Amino acid sequence: MKVKAKLKGNTVKVKCMAKHEMSTYNQAEKRTGNRDNANFITHISATCNGETVFESSTSQFLSKNPIFKYQFKGKKGDKVEMAWTDRKGKSGKGSTKVK
Amino acid sequence: MQRREFLSVTLGALALAVVPASVRAEDFRKAKPTVWTAHTVDDAIKAMYGTTSTVEKGVKLKTPDVASNGGAIPVDYSTKIKAKTIAVFQDANPEAAVCVNTVHPNSVTDYSIKIKMQKSGTITVVVEGEDGKLYSAKKTLEVAKGGCEG
Repeated sequence: MKVKAKLKGNTVKVKCMAKHEMSTYNQAEKRTGNRDNANFITHISATCNGETVFESSTSQFLSKNPIFKYQFKGKKGDKVEMAWTDRKGKSGKGSTKVK
Repeated sequence: MQRREFLSVTLGALALAVVPASVRAEDFRKAKPTVWTAHTVDDAIKAMYGTTSTVEKGVKLKTPDVASNGGAIPVDYSTKIKAKTIAVFQDANPEAAVCVNTVHPNSVTDYSIKIKMQKSGTITVVVEGEDGKLYSAKKTLEVAKGGCEG
């Protein structure tokens, strides 16, 4: 996933995008005939220097390739690491340094 | 209530009770599965927090009044209240819950996400404050083109 982090004052603003189809149950039923083929990110989190700063349990109603923006207190050079898992158990991650 | 069901419910409640408050990091899809299958906003809020009485203040919610593309509606929400969790719901889709954010010590409670809505509806943001009270904000918007394809 793509992650960008920028410092403003003492707040770090992070913008990130996870590349994911985010299909709903209805979409899966329409395309494949099986509601169980729906796949979407269920949990996404971010840590900064080992400490969790963002965490979200999500449903199928986030947009395709969802964008998250969030903020936390940090400083320049901090390392932000992000990870997600989807309904099928697949995971993805991304990291960046605070600019 | 069936004996087996009773046992699993009780054990689940116990397991939740022993987790110390500092380890709040949790996946609400596993912890509260009924939230994600609830069809109405009220049901979902009740499944999440056990009550539906919220105070409508202290929460900022910003969305466009008319969303041209229901597949990606920007939703910005923030609060100055010291919060434990922040949850987003809407009433246009088959299920109500969109996401639940856990607030951590260094978090600044200001988020923006993009969501899908298949028709016009109302977005509700509920903030669970550290004082245990629920605060909310609502916004009704029109969706020109649905984003869930049925």
